[in-house]
Amino acid sequence: MTELRLRHSFQHNFPYKPILMISNSKHSARSLTARLSDDKFQYYLMFLPALILLVGIMYPFITGVYISFTNEKLYLPTVEFIGFGNYVNLISDRVFQQSVVTVIKYTLLVLVIQIPLGFAVAILLDETSPLQKFFRSSVVLPLLIPPIIAGLMWKTMMQPEAGVINWALQSIGLPAFSWLSNPKTALFSIVIIDTWVFMPFAALILLAGLQSVSHEIIEASKIDGASTWQILRFVKLPWMTPYILLVMVFRVADSLKTFELIYPTTRGGPLNATRVMHVLGYEEAFRWANMGRAMAIIFMLWLISYIVSNRLVKTWEKSSEETKGEF
Amino acid sequence: MSSRVSRISPRTVYVTLGYLAFTIFVIFPIIWVFMMSLKEFRDIIAYPPKFIFTPTLKNYAAILFGSETAGLTTGISDYVNFLKNSIIISGGAVLLSTIIGLPAAYSLARSSIGIKSMVAFTFLSFRFAPELAVILPLYKIYQELNLYDTFIGLILVHQLITLPLVIWIMLSFFREVPIEIEEAARVDGANVWQVLLNVAIPIVRPGIASALIIAFIFSWNNLIFGLVLAGGNTQPVTVGILQTMNFDQIKWGWMAAAAMIAAVPGMLIAIYFQRHLVRGLTMGALK
Repeated sequence: MTELRLRHSFQHNFPYKPILMISNSKHSARSLTARLSDDKFQYYLMFLPALILLVGIMYPFITGVYISFTNEKLYLPTVEFIGFGNYVNLISDRVFQQSVVTVIKYTLLVLVIQIPLGFAVAILLDETSPLQKFFRSSVVLPLLIPPIIAGLMWKTMMQPEAGVINWALQSIGLPAFSWLSNPKTALFSIVIIDTWVFMPFAALILLAGLQSVSHEIIEASKIDGASTWQILRFVKLPWMTPYILLVMVFRVADSLKTFELIYPTTRGGPLNATRVMHVLGYEEAFRWANMGRAMAIIFMLWLISYIVSNRLVKTWEKSSEETKGEF
Repeated sequence: MSSRVSRISPRTVYVTLGYLAFTIFVIFPIIWVFMMSLKEFRDIIAYPPKFIFTPTLKNYAAILFGSETAGLTTGISDYVNFLKNSIIISGGAVLLSTIIGLPAAYSLARSSIGIKSMVAFTFLSFRFAPELAVILPLYKIYQELNLYDTFIGLILVHQLITLPLVIWIMLSFFREVPIEIEEAARVDGANVWQVLLNVAIPIVRPGIASALIIAFIFSWNNLIFGLVLAGGNTQPVTVGILQTMNFDQIKWGWMAAAAMIAAVPGMLIAIYFQRHLVRGLTMGALK
């Protein structure tokens, strides 16, 4: 028996011509299975190097978890297993507690400031104007320069005596701040720098969201007499939920592990005001050579970050399915 | 007529104010530091700050060719070395990620089963994890393996940044390739590898370019890997730039010039290559 299979033309401009395949069905069935299982093997082969590399990443990670249960110090040859010793010590340590509070405060500030501001900027960039292209190009600049450079740039501008920001504030009659060198304002100053770097991220994602709102719905609302504000509030905003959640996924994870903006600006000071968990862990390892304790700090940070981002990713997935179903 | 004007104007006013605020907050810092990089020391410390001054390239010259005050009158300056190191590390990391990541992403796009998607998600989860969770133990392991302060060691650790990016961005591109085209090639007798190389990759070539460039930028911008795992031989530019701060007196002009040079790759991308940036920034979650 022969079987006729017609494969019709695929893509308008693709060079492959329609192929008429004539084959014996029994034979083709067997070879197809063989071929498919060979394909499966080849696909695994393609994936193998990545798998090996992942093992290479998992190994130090698991070693690190083990180290967190020891009293390892870089300058001591002997290492003892001390169970939860580091963890118990840390939980009652005032500096550690403060670092947890600081990083949570930091993350909340980032969200509260960057999502509304990013939304505002997204709306601004969505506005048709001759300058639109220029502003859309320049908004990504802060995102693409090294964070440490951003930190140094703002450090020069935030200098209490000769910095341009204080000069600008004073010249319009506002008081000067000591920004990074005052424990009261240091964390907020770094959040400002963080906002400069990452608000564009929020803006870009939210802009993509605004642009994905269907034009028919907007037109229909306009015909029904909805104002620009009403369209924004009742048509666009509900549609934006998955996009806002996506911004949160990235901003929360990155804020919890913030390091690269704090290192060049305050290195955790003044008076522990900006010593977040990631910075504390770094110092514990490289200033005090206390690997066991450092790994315990980092592992707790990892755990917090893992739980929170998992939760957020799930919420994002759910809401992005719901929104798609809605329209 | 007048009522029409008053109806339009509030919106125009808001937009203009928005643009103004945007310019002051987002664009001004870059212009200010660029101006600082062109200033003489006395202009930098001048108060009130100077907006009009005679520009000089002294800072750039000092950074790139050495200066007498730094005792580097001849030869390659440290900073050029840092740049060279960064190019080797980020270039090597992106190259390795391409070789490993492209087939992996393709394999995921075409048959995503069990362990593979688990591996892909584990990679993704390291994108969100604090870097020290991996590199602090790695600091110890590298010293035992003699990988500390080597380019190979740094290229390997940079896979933490570049590989998830390449895999997830390329996965989202490969999923857009119409499967019929590939099936046609299979019918013509091509095997899986040939389909990948001759059919799938040519179709997603623009996607590959953007994935690689974005991966290069994020690798270039990274500080913490170099801080922990690089010594004097391999220090990248982000670590090296901290040295300009560690002189007795902070050389603001040098720092500004060094910052401008280190920011060049990112700025070029911002201007020429932002079409797929959103996809890259969200690891392929958004197009």
